[in-house]
Amino acid sequence: MQAPKNLVRLENIRKSFNRNTVLEGVSLELNESEVISIIGGNGAGKSTLMKILTGIYKPEGGIIEINGEKADHLNPFAAHERGIYLVPQEPLLFPNMTVEQNLTIGFRKDKKEVKEESIKLIKELGWNIDLKRIAATLSIAEQQQLEIIRGLLRKSKVLILDEPTSTLTFSETEALFKVIEQLKNAGVGIFYITHRLDEVFQISTHVVILRDGKVTLKGKIAEFTKEMLIQGLLPAENEDHHQETFERRKSNHEGEKPILKVDNIVGDGFKNISFDVYKGEVVGLAGLVGAGRTEIAEAIYGINPIQSGKVYLDGKDITKLSINETVDSGLAYIPEDRFLNGIFSITSVRNNITSQMMKRSGFFIKKKLEEQVAHQYIDRLRIKVNSQEDEIKSLSGGNQQKAVIARALSVNPKIIIMDEPTRGIDAAARGDIYSIITELKNQGFSILLISSDLEEIERISDRIFAVYQGTCKVCLNLDEINAVNVMKASFGTFEGGDRAHD
Amino acid sequence: MLNKIPKWNLTLFILIVVEMIVFGMMNPRFWNVTILLNSFNDFVAIAIIGFFVTLVVITGGIDISGVSIIGLTSVITGLLSQVVGINIWVSIICAILVGGLCGFLNGVLIAYGRVQAMIITLGGMLLYSGIAIVLVGVSDVSTYEGISGFSEGFSWIANGEVMGIPNAVILFIIMFIIAYILLHRTKYGRYIYLTGINQNTAEYSGIDTKKIITSTYVLSGLSAGIAGVVLTSYLGSARSDYGAEYLMPILTVVVLGGTLITGGKGGVVGTALASIILGFMQIGLQMAGVSTQYIGLATGGLLIVSVAFLGINPDFRFNVKRIITQKQNNGG
Amino acid sequence: MTRFSKIIKQREFRTFIFLILLFVVVGFINTDYLSLQNIDKSLKSSLIYIVLTVGMTFVLLTGNLDISIGGTLGLSAAVCGTILRDGGNIFLAVLAAIGIGAFIGLINGFGLIKLKISSFIMTLALLSITRVVQVIYTDGKWVENIPANVKELSKIDIFGVNLLSIIVIVGVIFAQVYLSKNSKGRYYTAIGDNVDGAISLGIPVKRYIAYSFVISGICASLAGLIFVSQIGFVSTNAGVGIELTVIAACVLGGVSLAGGIGTVVGAALGAIILTSINSALVFMKVPAFWNDTISGALLIIIVVIDALLAFNANKKAKKVRLNARVLQKEA
Repeated sequence: MQAPKNLVRLENIRKSFNRNTVLEGVSLELNESEVISIIGGNGAGKSTLMKILTGIYKPEGGIIEINGEKADHLNPFAAHERGIYLVPQEPLLFPNMTVEQNLTIGFRKDKKEVKEESIKLIKELGWNIDLKRIAATLSIAEQQQLEIIRGLLRKSKVLILDEPTSTLTFSETEALFKVIEQLKNAGVGIFYITHRLDEVFQISTHVVILRDGKVTLKGKIAEFTKEMLIQGLLPAENEDHHQETFERRKSNHEGEKPILKVDNIVGDGFKNISFDVYKGEVVGLAGLVGAGRTEIAEAIYGINPIQSGKVYLDGKDITKLSINETVDSGLAYIPEDRFLNGIFSITSVRNNITSQMMKRSGFFIKKKLEEQVAHQYIDRLRIKVNSQEDEIKSLSGGNQQKAVIARALSVNPKIIIMDEPTRGIDAAARGDIYSIITELKNQGFSILLISSDLEEIERISDRIFAVYQGTCKVCLNLDEINAVNVMKASFGTFEGGDRAHD
Repeated sequence: MLNKIPKWNLTLFILIVVEMIVFGMMNPRFWNVTILLNSFNDFVAIAIIGFFVTLVVITGGIDISGVSIIGLTSVITGLLSQVVGINIWVSIICAILVGGLCGFLNGVLIAYGRVQAMIITLGGMLLYSGIAIVLVGVSDVSTYEGISGFSEGFSWIANGEVMGIPNAVILFIIMFIIAYILLHRTKYGRYIYLTGINQNTAEYSGIDTKKIITSTYVLSGLSAGIAGVVLTSYLGSARSDYGAEYLMPILTVVVLGGTLITGGKGGVVGTALASIILGFMQIGLQMAGVSTQYIGLATGGLLIVSVAFLGINPDFRFNVKRIITQKQNNGG
Repeated sequence: MTRFSKIIKQREFRTFIFLILLFVVVGFINTDYLSLQNIDKSLKSSLIYIVLTVGMTFVLLTGNLDISIGGTLGLSAAVCGTILRDGGNIFLAVLAAIGIGAFIGLINGFGLIKLKISSFIMTLALLSITRVVQVIYTDGKWVENIPANVKELSKIDIFGVNLLSIIVIVGVIFAQVYLSKNSKGRYYTAIGDNVDGAISLGIPVKRYIAYSFVISGICASLAGLIFVSQIGFVSTNAGVGIELTVIAACVLGGVSLAGGIGTVVGAALGAIILTSINSALVFMKVPAFWNDTISGALLIIIVVIDALLAFNANKKAKKVRLNARVLQKEA
């Protein structure tokens, strides 16, 4: 058998951001007609690796070879020239242009030529895209097809698909897989980043699992089972970063009334969600990015509407309340995207902390009270500032997050929903936030913790509900909580208690 | 960062002092307090609107329709009191309320209709001045002479004085204090800032940002209404084209006052100082025998320098460095 | 083809249909309005606005704003007027106009790109400055006594159609073809449509933003030249406030202030509509003072409808996207 032509060879790639190591010597090879699935949790380094390959980031060490040639100074343009094209999760199209214009823009050669090539390609792929349609009217699947054509028009031999199916419907996914099959047969090499294990077996020839910036498992797909992949995704044993253990309680809430009771709610991005949270309990909402957890939280908080079902907070129906009323009822929410929804970047730490509690004060600002409250929380949560007047923008991510937590606490809630509270935060601040959570729990606050960090959610939660593709069918009690079960539940393959690993 | 704005205000204050010294040396009459205080009449309308447009700009919007609301309220005041024959004070209140109504329309369309503030207030500007012209046209009043014959009491509003201080100065101070307290001392003012810094976060914090945004346009409309009444009183007749040339000065005082055009930062103190700078410059140039038409050169230059330079754009020094080095590279 | 794409496609058509409707309705009331003579006149009186909207469209497409055009127009009119008055050649005047416009455009671009000032403030400042430069240049006087042959230029007819109108129409078509068909011309729209996408495709974003201001400046100063030839004198406040009318015309013609949407033809139609309303009122024997009210109301109504349509389409798209993630198979 003739050896297949090598398209990409990555050797010992290293990369870190601000002393935070993301990739620790990753080696990969992609040959013609291969589809390599790359799996890994959040922060495993998948997208960083692909961004290095497409020239967006510069690696700190290691060798990149494209078509057998060393590629040292890669930039996005050079990567295109060498035939590497990334189809991003959110396609970067021009929404107000037609399909044709989207395809032909950015080429130096004649438009007609490009158009003819596109028509030929679309025909070859057997797709049905009207060149005259406006890009904004395309479905996400079609937009991705467009990005793929863009890549192929640039004679790309390597396509990188970043979680392409996360926003696709079932039939759209099937269509995409057919395309991947065609491309594979045509000799194109594909990196396929995904969270969905079923898909890995359906389309890939090889699989690579990344964890904490290292390849933990790689090889031909035929050699693996789902169980083996899940094992590969799990943190290595005896590799605990956090020495402290969390005091957790087994749930025994019979006769108690739940603080938060979510009863069969349906909304955009989720359906038939039911769970409850009791006093002094940390309940984890596990799942993959895009599973619908943030949508559920935002619907409970009153940002997005709930179509049916009920939410009760301490016995009070809060289903249809506005954000303001929800907050008054005793619910606080720490949003997922801190920069977009969490902080007021260009104002002081004090103003950030007091922005929610001040609704309870009268018409005028009470500066003394504000200073006092800000002081109290800066002390209590150990927020590192020079003064309360510091612009929050100038703080580190961890301290910003603490200020957001302070704001949530300032309205004295019964329950706090924390959506990815440790995202983009360094290890020390992470530890601080864990101890804040523990402290709050001991003080009788209830916490609903949404996290994609397996270790985090597994170690802190008293109970875990797993959300899988907008549904929530699995509840893990304390004695069922372990990495394997959480992982299985997140990938939708949990079928009952698996306590063998404990 | 809060200590940065006072620094800018200090710069503005120094500018006023420099102005007084320079213009005073050119013409010592400039140092006459009475003349200086009376000069407030010429820019009090700009300042009044500027104070409340500052609130609008802090929420991240813009309001250019005020200049037309001036004319509209002027005409309504004149028509109600002189043609219809309603009591002058009732007419004034009605006129100012109409100004508020115009602002309300702007605000609702911007906040709830999600249209860019620039376009809506541009349309509003055409519409409100159009209505003013129509009212004049329909009521058969001479467009050029306007509606005159106001009572002395009405004329006192802008031309009178209290204890030797011209009413224009008092009005300036009163409106400034109202705007200052609203913006810097109340919960409402804080919400204006928070909305402008990050509307999403404000929504997530339970602030009804749409209401806040709408209300700032109402205030801006009301202030334009007041400015219209003041101007009518000052000039003694009601005309639809009052304020037409105020657009650039209003925006200039707000921006020169240190308010970030993208919202979230700024204050009315800066606006007040900037409007005094502009007003004194006008009278100073007049006294120095320079055509007031040259004022644009100074304001335009100040605008670019102030926005690009002192504190408002922290990248500036870096940019200057880069431009200089680039030029050297090109030259070499 | 979905309904949404049809709505987008209709932007220019809608403007056009409105214009036709305007003529038909007014023509129904007064048939003189439909005479070729009047249509020619309407076109002629909107020429300055059309030229300005062409330049403005370039800037708006990239997502910026140019309010210095009124000042550029005034300055260029003053300079060209003096050149022509003093017996200068018309080509010299054209060159001077292009030079002035390009220079002001470059300053705007410099402020935007290098000093990182928002286009609104930068062009606002330049508007004030150019006004003063005009006053200094003309010493505050009007430029009058422009030779009759210059004024004749604006009255030359070819086959019964005004020559200047023909040149402008050809210019509009040329600009339209450049923007929609030329591979580089599409960059302007692309920048306003999705800056990140434009950068990722290697489009020199900053350079094209600077170009857009240069084009806008040149258009404004050419409009100044037309002003000289049509009006015959230049006052110190020539073109005051014209920038706002031009923006209104562009928006009316379907150009979005957010960038990425709009055509030169649409904007030009918007300009014709705004000037036609004026003459239509005369023909309908409605007092001319209704003009601004109608223009303003029209602008607001059209813009609000557009915004609501776009908002609902976005909301729907987001909903579909979210629900696509939900597990379809029901257990």
